[in-house]
Amino acid sequence: MTDQLDYQVTVEELAALMKRTAGVHVDPVTLRQQADDGFDTFGLDSLGLLGIVAELEKRYGLGLPEQAERCKTPADFLALINGALKTGV
Amino acid sequence: MSGPQRARHHQQDGRRRAVVTGLGVVSPHGIGVETFWKAVADGTSSLGPVTREGCEDMPLRVAGEVRGFDAAETVEGRYLVQTDRFTHFALSATQLALDDARFGRADVESPFSVGVVTAAGSGGGEFGQRELQNLWGQGSRYVGPYQSIAWFYAASTGQISIRNDFKGPCGVVAADEAGGLDALAHAALSVRNGTDTVVCGATEAPLAPYSIVCQLGYPELSRATEADRAYRPFTSAACGFAPAEGGAVLVVEEAEAARDRGAEVRATVAGHAATFTGPSRWAESRQGLAHAIEGALAEAGCRPEEVDVVFADALGVPEADRAEALALADALGAHARRVPVTAPKTGTGRAYCAAPVLDVATAVLAMEHGLIPPTPHVVDVCHDLDVVAGRARPAEPRTALILGRGLMGSNSALVLRQGDAAPSADR
Repeated sequence: MTDQLDYQVTVEELAALMKRTAGVHVDPVTLRQQADDGFDTFGLDSLGLLGIVAELEKRYGLGLPEQAERCKTPADFLALINGALKTGV
Repeated sequence: MSGPQRARHHQQDGRRRAVVTGLGVVSPHGIGVETFWKAVADGTSSLGPVTREGCEDMPLRVAGEVRGFDAAETVEGRYLVQTDRFTHFALSATQLALDDARFGRADVESPFSVGVVTAAGSGGGEFGQRELQNLWGQGSRYVGPYQSIAWFYAASTGQISIRNDFKGPCGVVAADEAGGLDALAHAALSVRNGTDTVVCGATEAPLAPYSIVCQLGYPELSRATEADRAYRPFTSAACGFAPAEGGAVLVVEEAEAARDRGAEVRATVAGHAATFTGPSRWAESRQGLAHAIEGALAEAGCRPEEVDVVFADALGVPEADRAEALALADALGAHARRVPVTAPKTGTGRAYCAAPVLDVATAVLAMEHGLIPPTPHVVDVCHDLDVVAGRARPAEPRTALILGRGLMGSNSALVLRQGDAAPSADR
């Protein structure tokens, strides 16, 4: 599906998702600066990440790789998600 | 290991004692102990029409709703998103109790020295209903991951433990309404076995559509339409009970550990016993409750005459009220006719597991204020009991007996002594 080439999740969108689905407030600037810190340092647990994956799957209408919910950092997560969105897997 | 561990606390008699040092209340009377006690002491009733969304057309008209509660005032968003209202109450009540006990981070010797025990009767019905509606209305992708934890009985214990980093012995008591007292007993046992502090209590949020439907099958539920007639135990007008939401959390500590950190020892959990006599078998609850009272008094080393006030279960079903009055007579003898009996819960409704925990909190406050609070809506008692009705009664209660029974057949009794009370073999 070539039209998915345009879909990329930004740091800002991730911060908004963290707030909406997991109740975790984190400033996008901080999230970008500390993108290699663990999700747990922002207060996001594994169920919270699972909820974000589910939201993205609903939004883009596709299944994301299973490793997505096991990513430890925002940087890893965005790289994996955006890679998957690019290839439309 | 980081530095030397403090030696475990022991009383001079070699026994570790469980004492109450803090109270946190979220109830239909209001949020916090001061608001709650003022309403209780005044004999105010907070029963009213059921107004929660989706509940307006239910054949349950009168209940005790917690109003003006904003969990976000005390609890971070990430805990609120993943939990039901009953856990919001629990997290808030815990914070209030810790503040009341002046128990801060600096008082936590080790995360493993603080445990958590809660009781729950209905779990997170509102959260569960919302997610199940998403499941059947929109599909499985629309069910959030927190459904896996939010509606369980165990949710509050887990979230209190996580939020406060309490890693000591944790537990959940699922034992019917009487389980609120059993949770306190479990906490006291944990303290006697070596835990310095246990955060303990019960909160319930049964006023949501699915949860109310679950209760409509109880023959004991009051169908009265007027708030002042819905819940009148021990009277000839008794027609069942009005349910309530909310609850209480207590900080229970080892007596010596509490004194070491300069905390005020407010009451001692002196004795407890529990029995089971079967669902809605109210006549049989007489024997079960009497046995529980005798067991609790024996553990406390307390003679019947020493009981200064009884916080009754007060179900509001004639057969059950009669059984309770007879159980008191069986266990306390002639003293049952003299001891003041009160049921402040007629002013809030019965918050299931949380009802007897609120009574324990009220008993602590009654002993501190020298005042036995009245039983709202109750006049013309038709049992051989001295029920405190109308106005609060000045007194100096030092020993309180708190009773709880569950619709599924659990009976529990708990003896609370004012201050730091050693077992009274030497009295």
